[in-house]
Amino acid sequence: MALSKIDVANMVTGLVPNDNTIRRPNATPLIINGDMQVAQRSTSETGKTSAGYYTCDRMHSNIDSIGTYTIIQESLSSGNAYINGFTKAWRIDTTTADASPASGDNFSFIYSFEGQDLQLFKKGTANAEKFTLAFWVKSNKTGTGNVNLFDTDNTRLIGGTYTISSADTWEHKVVNFAADTTGAFTNDNGQSLKIEWFLDSGTNFSSGTTDTAWGSKQDVDRNASGTLQIARNTDNDWAITGIQLEVGEYTSSTLPPFQHESFADNLARCERYYQVVGSGTRADNLTYFSAYNHDGTSTMFGIFNFRTTMRTGPSIDQTSGTNYYTFKCNNATDDFDGVNGFRGGIHAGEFYLSGGSSVGNSSAGEAGKVMGKNASSHIALAAEL
Amino acid sequence: MFKNCTIKYQKSPDNPSNDKDCILVTYPKKDDGSYKTLIVPINNENTDYQDILQWVADGNTIAEAD
Repeated sequence: MALSKIDVANMVTGLVPNDNTIRRPNATPLIINGDMQVAQRSTSETGKTSAGYYTCDRMHSNIDSIGTYTIIQESLSSGNAYINGFTKAWRIDTTTADASPASGDNFSFIYSFEGQDLQLFKKGTANAEKFTLAFWVKSNKTGTGNVNLFDTDNTRLIGGTYTISSADTWEHKVVNFAADTTGAFTNDNGQSLKIEWFLDSGTNFSSGTTDTAWGSKQDVDRNASGTLQIARNTDNDWAITGIQLEVGEYTSSTLPPFQHESFADNLARCERYYQVVGSGTRADNLTYFSAYNHDGTSTMFGIFNFRTTMRTGPSIDQTSGTNYYTFKCNNATDDFDGVNGFRGGIHAGEFYLSGGSSVGNSSAGEAGKVMGKNASSHIALAAEL
Repeated sequence: MFKNCTIKYQKSPDNPSNDKDCILVTYPKKDDGSYKTLIVPINNENTDYQDILQWVADGNTIAEAD
């Protein structure tokens, strides 16, 4: 290549060309794990009746008094999403229906952003950018779904819709949203924007009209066009993958290609919000969680550095049970059910087990290892939005 | 969100004057005997702590440390 052909401008600005025409202002996908490859918590959860992060990382289920569900990381081996490069999806199946939701019941799938990751939209300025949301969706139900952008900093909302035309068929949807010259996203690590796909609701969320212009959030508008009603029958399911949010306005023919990341890069970005300290069991039935020291108060402190700087000081998310963990010191083990305290910052922390009469076979001042002893042993750090 | 959970403060093991070192949330046992525990820092940026504050605002009380 002749030297004059090198794209010096993009090298300087960091813009990433995807082909000969597309120039994104963002070097990596704005949505983390949009291809649903990473599922650190589990790949299947049953009996879910309340809100939480289940299976695929970063993906939140808002279930508010409206049925019971199984949520899985679905493996794809056929269909339009699969032949376009997507092998995993987030899927929810209704297992106990709510045939007639009460007025305040609501059910949605949500992705949230930190405000400091959204400044490129220039929201709240005269140069505010439009938003384009694209995704693959499949359901046994045909009909219209509501999908909203909810600016939680300024309590502003804009609505959009998509139509599922064929049952049980992966379809690609592109939804455009206007720019908003009012209300800047706060430039910090807090939640500034939620994308919410409404799946069902009572009338408190459906008796208005879908407003395709930005304005003050009105709950009655958030599912005003939605006809999918996934909660109403145990035959119902809904699945999604390949989510991308782009700066600017695109159609299905001009949309930039999905930015596939390596699994390692994807996982590393997820770990800002959730990272596993230790999980499961090795062949010898022991998985190492941390080193510990035994202080003079019959307390074990297990100290560890985080692999990635976390969004904020995290919680410990632990699966406990009889003798799920063990101390090892002086060539002997002593089992316990789970740790009962934690403190830490965004780079490192220490969990502890206090209140016992002993810490394994160690004496004050000695050190040892903390290990998992059950296939379900699981300790993770959670700093989700 | 915290249906049938027990929620209580944990005392600092190495600073007895701090009886609110963190919050231990214990979920009900599953059929296999396992149960989820959430250990939540007193940190307004932590969304689990925000959820607990909402749970308190709804009329519930965090139990004191043992």
